Amino acid sequence: MRRIPLLVLSVVLAAVGAVRAQPAPQAITVYAAADLDMAFREIKPLFEKATGVRVTLVMGSTGNLAKQIEHGAPADVFFAANESFIDDLLAAGAVIPQTRALYAQGRLVLAMPMASAVAVRELVDLLKPEVRRVAIANPAHAPYGRAAQEALESAGVWDRVKSKLVYGENIRHTLQFIETGAVEAGIVALSVAGVPAVRYVPIDPKLHKPLNQVAAVVKRSARPDLGLAFIQFLNGPEGRPIMKRYGFLLPGDF
Amino acid sequence: MDFFPLWLSLKVSVTATILTVATGMPLAWVLALKRFPGRDFAEAVVVLPLVLPPTVLGYYLLVLISRQGAIGRVLDAAGIELAFTWRAAVLAAWLGSSALFVKAAQAGFESVDRRLEQAALTLGRSQWSVFWSVTLPLASRAVMAGTVLAFCRALGDFGITLMVAGSIPGRTQTTPLAIYDLVQSNRMAEANTLSLIAVATVALLLMGIGRFARLRF
Repeated sequence: MRRIPLLVLSVVLAAVGAVRAQPAPQAITVYAAADLDMAFREIKPLFEKATGVRVTLVMGSTGNLAKQIEHGAPADVFFAANESFIDDLLAAGAVIPQTRALYAQGRLVLAMPMASAVAVRELVDLLKPEVRRVAIANPAHAPYGRAAQEALESAGVWDRVKSKLVYGENIRHTLQFIETGAVEAGIVALSVAGVPAVRYVPIDPKLHKPLNQVAAVVKRSARPDLGLAFIQFLNGPEGRPIMKRYGFLLPGDF
Repeated sequence: MDFFPLWLSLKVSVTATILTVATGMPLAWVLALKRFPGRDFAEAVVVLPLVLPPTVLGYYLLVLISRQGAIGRVLDAAGIELAFTWRAAVLAAWLGSSALFVKAAQAGFESVDRRLEQAALTLGRSQWSVFWSVTLPLASRAVMAGTVLAFCRALGDFGITLMVAGSIPGRTQTTPLAIYDLVQSNRMAEANTLSLIAVATVALLLMGIGRFARLRF
């Protein structure tokens, strides 16, 4: 009789062991540029529901994330805000060439604090003396900053606006300068501009080179198929409406 | 609301502080009491991490400990993965906080009356025993202050950790990184909650240590 509890225990342990031995649920880590933050937080649960794959989102500046992936970060798929970073990773052999995909084009807006009394409707208005500070992302390394500089140059105001410029680390940081009212105006991505404290007008995309946003599956990924599935999901019937709502132009639309 | 970052931060900063004290104590003692060629150089190297921008420092560290890196390659061969794990966050916190501990402890050791140590030595104590029974107790306030500074710096590290451990939610995202992420995605309420908890925890902890220190020393 004394043996019975022991027997029960061993059966229970065996069952627990069997449960433990089952393969872990499928999971991928998605590295994505800061301008995708809001859109990807909506897409993540939809992808998880549709595929049963758990997604970990790591958001950051494209430059930082690219450096980390080059040095072996545990990313499965990387959505950059700019194609040059993906091409550098391709050259370094860190991503799979066949998976390189143009997933969206970004758009610029001229944004200002909701409470601001200064009327800014087009880029020329930035020359008004009431506009004392203008925020853009750092053109030296942020794709949206580079495009903002190109737009200001095309509009013929770069030289005169230059002394008013404040540089943000990335596009979300730039938006914060506007949100907090620290600047009278700024140029940010349409995808992040939809926050309560900010109003904006679109900037003509012809004023700058296209902001091609490119993704690729990382070479060291254990499940490249899942990363590819995420890229495809983004451009599928569930991903597209969300991406559009956050102001991205999608493949087929440009 | 996800509280993992708080738990991770506690684990990382406690481990890093232990590491900092363990490595920094002998270094501080040597710098305070020994005269040797290259001592000035060593003293300068100790404070260098405070000079560089943290993300740049983090990038250099990443280059060293990533799989292709000089240190990473050796570790990889031994089956140890360091970059982008919580251990990398410990290394980052250690690098960021060591200077604060070493400088404080060194000043403490330097201010100890050398005659007391010599008296103990003439009474037949070994140098090891003199350190634990004379030097350290007399420098305890400075050492304690350095430890507290190091712990707080470890808890607050952002740039170095961001580069070497990444900001992977549920794995390497420490409290400062989580707060930054929340602010970036405009989730201010959650960011404020996390900030408040982190600050309150540390304030209570420091007040506790302060009371304990007055009682004991």
